[in-house]
Amino acid sequence: MGTDFILFVSASVFCIGATGFMIRKNPLVMFMSVELMLNSVNLLLVGFSKELNSLDGQIFALLIMTVAAAEVVVGLAIILTIFRTRHDLDVDNINTLKG
Amino acid sequence: MLDIAYETVVAVVGITAILASIGVIVCASPIYSALYLIGNMTCLALLFLLYNAEFIAAVQIIVYAGAVMILFLFIIALLGAKKEERDTSSLQIPMALSFVVLLFGELLMAMTVGKTNPVEGKFSVDFIQQVGSARAIGVELFSRHLIPFELASALLLVATVGIICLAKFPLSPVKRRTR
Repeated sequence: MGTDFILFVSASVFCIGATGFMIRKNPLVMFMSVELMLNSVNLLLVGFSKELNSLDGQIFALLIMTVAAAEVVVGLAIILTIFRTRHDLDVDNINTLKG
Repeated sequence: MLDIAYETVVAVVGITAILASIGVIVCASPIYSALYLIGNMTCLALLFLLYNAEFIAAVQIIVYAGAVMILFLFIIALLGAKKEERDTSSLQIPMALSFVVLLFGELLMAMTVGKTNPVEGKFSVDFIQQVGSARAIGVELFSRHLIPFELASALLLVATVGIICLAKFPLSPVKRRTR
């Protein structure tokens, strides 16, 4: 087994996250799917970090977590602002900028 | 014997992570999705522990399963956990599934390539166990990766200022143009 299993788990979680981002209409669940994809990449980096006896992968994972935290905070603030102005959370209905 | 037990634990935790991530995208109510996401993140933290990355596992639990998911749960409580209705007539779901199946096949094909010119580091498992995971990461982070670390702190500051700007100033409701 070894690294191959981690590659399989990471690819599966990434694909499930991509599916969730494309088929769901609730922006909160879409954000959770993005989190799934970011987490699967973290798993891959940590697996290769052990495989190659290097710590660079773990440091990359740490920086990805920082970026993800910042991204979630800004994204949820945007969702909250949209909800305050429109009282609707379906991404298909958010088309005010459409010409 | 110990090796077989280790492999079994890794397999069980990995499969649980996949199942929990399926739970995130099939649940109709966002609160259940959030709970499944917490389960998925805990499984990933366990995998990090099993792969000798103790510090990253602790950060995963504290930052993701703690801070980020609490934020998600607050927002769900604020906006209301309404179930979403699905229209089965649109082509969105078949198109997304075909794209993802293609992507998964490509990723599995990329797995079979194997290593291409790997660069081995000096941090073996024995060395990390000797000095400790957090200390090894700290020394690496503050010596070779200092500039990315400082840029990450600047990124967090920018995000803080940005959400204060988004949350503080009230926006007027948008009026739809009638045509």
